[in-house]
Amino acid sequence: MWQDVHAAGSMNLAGFRILDCTEECGYLAGKLLAELGAEVIKVEPPQGDPGRYQPPFIGDSPDPELSVPWLALNTSKFSVTLDLADGKDRSTFLRLVGTADAVLETAGNGARLGPLAHGIDDAELRKANPRIIVCRLSPFGTTGPYAHRRGSDLTVLALGGNLYPTGNPDRAPVRCSLPVTHFHGGIELATATVFALWGRLQTGLAETVDVSQQECLTMPNMTAPLQYPFTGFTGKRVGGGFRGAKAFFRELWPCKDGWISFALRGGPARNPGIQALVAYIRECGMAAPALERDWQNYNHNTISQHEVDAIQDALAAFFQTKTMEELFRVACERNLLLAPAFSAREIVASRQLAARGFFLDVEDPGRQLVLRYPGYFAQTSLGPACVRRPAPRIGEHNDLFLSSLSAPLHET
Amino acid sequence: MAQPLFANLRILEFGGGAAGPLATRYFADHGATVVRVESRVRPDFIRLLRHVPGDPAGLDGSHMFAMVNVNKLGIALDMSHPRAGEVAARLVDWCDVLAENFAPGTLAKWGLEYTTLAARKPSLIMVSTCLNGQTGPDRHYPGFGGQGSALAGFNHLTGWPDREPLGPYGTITDSLSPRFVALLIASALLHRQRTGQGQYIDLSQVEAGIVCLSENILNFTARGQVLERCGNRSRVAAPHGVFRCAPESTDDDRWIALAVHDDHDWHTLRAVMGDPRWAKDPRFDTMAGRLAHVDELERHIESWTVNFRARELADRLVHAGIDAAVVWNFAELLVDPQLNWRQHFREVEHPVIGRHLCETNALRFSHFSETDFRPAPRLGEHTEYVCRELLSMSAQEYQNLAEAGVFR
Repeated sequence: MWQDVHAAGSMNLAGFRILDCTEECGYLAGKLLAELGAEVIKVEPPQGDPGRYQPPFIGDSPDPELSVPWLALNTSKFSVTLDLADGKDRSTFLRLVGTADAVLETAGNGARLGPLAHGIDDAELRKANPRIIVCRLSPFGTTGPYAHRRGSDLTVLALGGNLYPTGNPDRAPVRCSLPVTHFHGGIELATATVFALWGRLQTGLAETVDVSQQECLTMPNMTAPLQYPFTGFTGKRVGGGFRGAKAFFRELWPCKDGWISFALRGGPARNPGIQALVAYIRECGMAAPALERDWQNYNHNTISQHEVDAIQDALAAFFQTKTMEELFRVACERNLLLAPAFSAREIVASRQLAARGFFLDVEDPGRQLVLRYPGYFAQTSLGPACVRRPAPRIGEHNDLFLSSLSAPLHET
Repeated sequence: MAQPLFANLRILEFGGGAAGPLATRYFADHGATVVRVESRVRPDFIRLLRHVPGDPAGLDGSHMFAMVNVNKLGIALDMSHPRAGEVAARLVDWCDVLAENFAPGTLAKWGLEYTTLAARKPSLIMVSTCLNGQTGPDRHYPGFGGQGSALAGFNHLTGWPDREPLGPYGTITDSLSPRFVALLIASALLHRQRTGQGQYIDLSQVEAGIVCLSENILNFTARGQVLERCGNRSRVAAPHGVFRCAPESTDDDRWIALAVHDDHDWHTLRAVMGDPRWAKDPRFDTMAGRLAHVDELERHIESWTVNFRARELADRLVHAGIDAAVVWNFAELLVDPQLNWRQHFREVEHPVIGRHLCETNALRFSHFSETDFRPAPRLGEHTEYVCRELLSMSAQEYQNLAEAGVFR
C-alpha cells in the first residue's frame, strides 16, 4: 500500500512550486524534483500531454490514463490542463506562474507544449513573476548552429558521441531500447533547477538555464573522446569483448537463463577473482585442464589466443549450467567481478533491493490500480526521495490549483 | 557578471574512479573549493591508467584522472597513519559537504561515519555513493560501472535481439550517478539554508539507474511483459535506425542516424530520395504499414544511404527538415560546431601531461558562468596549501605532521 510515510514537508525542496511543461524527454526532471519534496504541477493541454498517448498501455487498449511510459516518469506530480493558445487560459497560466518558483519546458525544433512554443518568452514570464526561474531542455541548446535543428534520442546520441562506440563491430552502432538521452537530460534539467534556486538565494537573480542533451551525452564516454588526441582511438565498436596485446577476450556469456559479463582481465586486483571462480568451478565438479594454471601471475597481455580459447571454452561450458541469479550469488559471496545482465524479471526479484525496501506499491484510487514502482532514487537521513503520489490523471488538480487564481495577481 | 554560483561552497572528497569525482565537478566548475583526499599508499585506480606502461610520470601521468578532476585541489593523506584522523577531523570541520564513493564501510573504518561527524557538526551534508548502496546483503559486491549497468537493466536493453547484451558505451551508471549526486547535494544545500540542518545521503548507483528505467519495471509489474533489446527500432516510428553510408578514404565505418516520426516526415524523405518506385508501395504509406514491414523498409533505406557520404546526406536531410545526423566518431565529436559554440570542451595545461581537453556539464546560466579551468591536482600538490591556508595550521604544526609521515 502506498503511504506518504515521509511527508514531503520535511524534504529538501519542500515549499518550492515548479510548473512542469516538459515533453517526453524532460519528464524525469519533474519527477525527481517532486520526490525531493517540491510541489510539481504538470501543465498539460486540455486533451492531455501527447506523451500520454504513447504505447504500450496497461490493458493494451489505447487510454491516455494508462500509458506505461507516461506513468513511469510522471509520478508524484499534480496535473492541470490549460490551453496556452487560448487567451483566457493563457492569462490563468501567467497567474499560476505568479505563484511558482520555476518553469520547466522543453524547447528546440518541434517543441509544442511549453510557454515558448506559444510565444510566451522570458520577458512575459517575468512580467508575471519577476523571480521566476526558467529552465529549458532541448536537443542541442537554444543558441548556436544546431539551435533550430531537430533531434531525438537516436540523433542526439549520434551527435553526442555515445552511439558510434556502442555495439558490435560488424553491425551498425546501436542504442539502448529505452531513451538514455532523456535520462541524462532529465536529471541535468532537475539539477539546473536546483542550482538556479540556489543562485537566486545567493543573489536574488532569476536565472534562465539552457540545458543541452547533446552536451549531456559526451560525459558518458568517460573521457575516451578527450583522449583521442593522445590515443588515436576513434571509438570503434568491440562488441562484448576486449583486446589484449596478443588475443581477443570474450566479456559476455550465455548462461542457463540469460547473459552474464565476466572477463579474463588480469592484474593484481582482478586475479584473485579469477582464482575464486576457478575454485568454484572445481567445487561444482567441472574442473578442466585449461583452467589449471598459475593464475596468481596471470597477465592478459602475454597470453596467446590459443590458450585463451581453451580457457574460454571451459568457462562457457560451465556458465551454461548456471542461472544468472546463481552466478550472481557466487559473485557476491566470493568477490567476483561477474555481473548478470538482469531483465526486469530478475531486478524485481532482487534480494538486495527487497532488503532496502526499494520497490513501492503505489495505490492509485483514480485508476483503481496498485502499481509496483522503483520507489526511490536515493535514501537520506530525512527519508527516501520516493514516489509520493500516483502519476496524475489529466487535469486531476484543476480545482486545487486553478480555482484560487480567479483574481489576477498582476492586473494592469 | 555575478560571483560564481558556488563561490563560498567547500567540498571534501574521498574516493576515486569517475562516478564520485564527476559529481563534485558540477560544483568545482562553478567556483566551489573542492579538496580531494588521496594517498600514495592506496592511489585512486584511475591514476594507474596510463597509455605507456612504466610511464616515468608515475601517478601524475593519467589522462583520465586529469580530465575528470580539473578544478580541484589535492591533499595527500595516508588514512592508515595513526595521526591522519587529526587532519581528517579538521577537514571535516572546514567543509560544507563531504562526498565519498569508497566501498561501504571504508569511511567508518577511519572514524568518519556520518553519525559521529554529525554529532559534532549537525550542519554537515554527507553523500555516499556506491554500486548497491550502504545497506543490504549485497552492499559489498565489488562492481564498477560495467557491473552496475548490467544489474540495473541497461545491458539487457542494449544491442541486437540476436546478439549479446552490450550496454551503452562507457558504463552508464557511472555517468548517471554523478548527475544524481549533484542534484542531491544542491537540494541538501537549500534545505540547510532553510533549517540549518545537514543530512546524510545514500545513493545506490544501481537503484538510481533502475529509476531511470522505470518503464522497464512497470512493463513487468503492470503488464507482465519483459522488455527486450530491439536494436535501433522504435515502437512508434519507422524508419528509425542507423544506416550505412559510403566509405570515406579507408574508413568504411560511416553511418547516418535517421528517424521518421510521422507521415509528413515520410513524404519529405521520399522527396529527398527522389521518390523511388519501392517507396510508392502503399504498404509504406502509413506509420502502421511501415512498422509492420520494417525489415523490408530498412533494407530499401540502406540501399539508398550507402550511395552517399554521411555528412553530405545528413546535410541534405537536415535541410529538408528530417531528424537525421551523422554518427560522430570521437575525432569528429571534438570539432562538433555546436559543442564548440557552447564551449563544451575546455583546454588546460597540465604540468605533466601537457595541454589537454576536458569537458564541462550541460548547464548554461544567464547570470553565472563557469570559472577559468585549472588542471587536476598532482598527487598531494596542494597538501601544504590546504593545511596552512584552508585549515590554518601553523608552519610548525604542518612540519610536525609532515615529518610524522602523515602526508603520503
